Amino acid sequence: MKIFNFIQSGKSEAMCGLCAHFQNDPAIIESTYAGLTIMSSGFASVRDQDGLCDHNQIYLSARDSCPHFTAHAGEY
Amino acid sequence: MATTTTETTGVKASGWQEFWAKEDWWAVWLGLGIVALAYIFYLSGSSISWIAVAPGKWSTLSQLGTQFSKNGIKYLALLAAFLVLFSIVITFIGQKAKEFIPSFIFIFVLSTIIYVIGAWDQANKYNLEPPLVALLLGLIISNVIGLPRWLDAGFRVEFYIKLGIVLLGATLPFTLIIWAGSVAILQASIVSLVTFFVIFLTARKLGLDHRLAAVLGAGGAVCGVSASIAVAGAVRAKKEHPPIAISLVVLWAIVLIFLLPLVCRALGLPTGVAGAWIGTSEFADAAGLAAAQSYGNLAGHHLGIAGTADQALASYTLIKVIGRDIWIGIWSFVLALISVTLWERNETNSKVQVGQIWWRFPKFVIGFLIASILTTLIVHGNSLADYTKLVKPSLILPITSLRTWAFTFSFLSIGLTTRFRDLASTGFKPFLAFTFGVVVNVALGYFLSVVVFGHYWSAIVTH
Repeated sequence: MKIFNFIQSGKSEAMCGLCAHFQNDPAIIESTYAGLTIMSSGFASVRDQDGLCDHNQIYLSARDSCPHFTAHAGEY
Repeated sequence: MATTTTETTGVKASGWQEFWAKEDWWAVWLGLGIVALAYIFYLSGSSISWIAVAPGKWSTLSQLGTQFSKNGIKYLALLAAFLVLFSIVITFIGQKAKEFIPSFIFIFVLSTIIYVIGAWDQANKYNLEPPLVALLLGLIISNVIGLPRWLDAGFRVEFYIKLGIVLLGATLPFTLIIWAGSVAILQASIVSLVTFFVIFLTARKLGLDHRLAAVLGAGGAVCGVSASIAVAGAVRAKKEHPPIAISLVVLWAIVLIFLLPLVCRALGLPTGVAGAWIGTSEFADAAGLAAAQSYGNLAGHHLGIAGTADQALASYTLIKVIGRDIWIGIWSFVLALISVTLWERNETNSKVQVGQIWWRFPKFVIGFLIASILTTLIVHGNSLADYTKLVKPSLILPITSLRTWAFTFSFLSIGLTTRFRDLASTGFKPFLAFTFGVVVNVALGYFLSVVVFGHYWSAIVTH
């Protein structure tokens, strides 16, 4: 089925979690999104490792990827 | 929205690190640790009741003074124990203990005052329900008086509520979860699906972006801010989408904390039924627990409300946690799949990972279920007389007391972190779509909880 083409099984080499444009530190997400801590948390499991991309200006998973990937010095 | 100049740090927690980097897991470790410790003391013929201190009923200030002169050292010991345990958690998740400690002492002192007010024998007469008092007090302090920002370090609403829910598991028989779980899932699923589509389709009709519509829909249908932020990550929402959902969820959740118990009281609903309705219609766990606990506390008084306080908490938790919260991973996965296949094929080249069903699973639920199984096994084999005389005072009541402390920390923290001027403006269209969903949700929740399954929820049996 065609829909299975959109489901990924393994890790991508150039995922957002390794990108210089990506920020997912829970404390920074909490300060960026004022009000998040009122009834949720930056440290909650439901947030997984999501973060902000300052290139595309979107909030997305660390396991995502895009053509604008720029390698980050940190480790995943 | 606040801005930050902090340097980009990239992904930190992964794999095994999740076990000590997420509040959910810490709620599990601490909650189950407390249950295990309580059981060890119980087996040795003792109890943790010495440190699980709580104010007893009082009618005069001299009685209250006597209580504190007798138990003052126990309160200090309890504060010290919480400080040690919570400081470990705060340090592991990467926060500063030196900021947390004074903040938590502030929370503990206020919580003690709220606990004392709730134990006053005239509290019901003046509607001084501890959860509502905590929330109101917090709102007044944060919005009228104001507090320095660094004090926020101790206002961990989600951590306290998750710890309280794990401890709540230890006071609910697992047989109840098995017996009522399927009805809870059925009722919650109907309401969640209807509410999601009402908000989503209304938002789309008003011309809002697919992803914003999904983030709003999940917030109203599943578990409030947590669902909105989870789905925002799954569907790759625009940076400005989550704050809109946060503002709407917080606004309506606070309105419903006060409104739902009032309406339940006006209708004279049994506590089990009211808990189910609140569990179906409130968004966030902490907000709903505040409403359910405050209504449950009215049972057995002069108001003629049938049921017990525990029934309100049990039916609420079954609907909210088992019926709604645990499905957030599946909601995220399905919406992510729709997002990459239909909504935004060109923005990223990524695919959807099935693993997020587990990655986004609210892990504290595991602790809640294990705690319930453990105490069910412990209690099993005791006669009712033994349970009432031995098990309940030595094992169950001390855990209940610690649970109430955790909930009070959370309710107070909701008020202390809610600064209305900091919330993002939502715009009229998102407000309209979300509000329409709230109205449908509350009406459908009432119909299912009272008319369809009312007989079921009014009869649920707790310990």
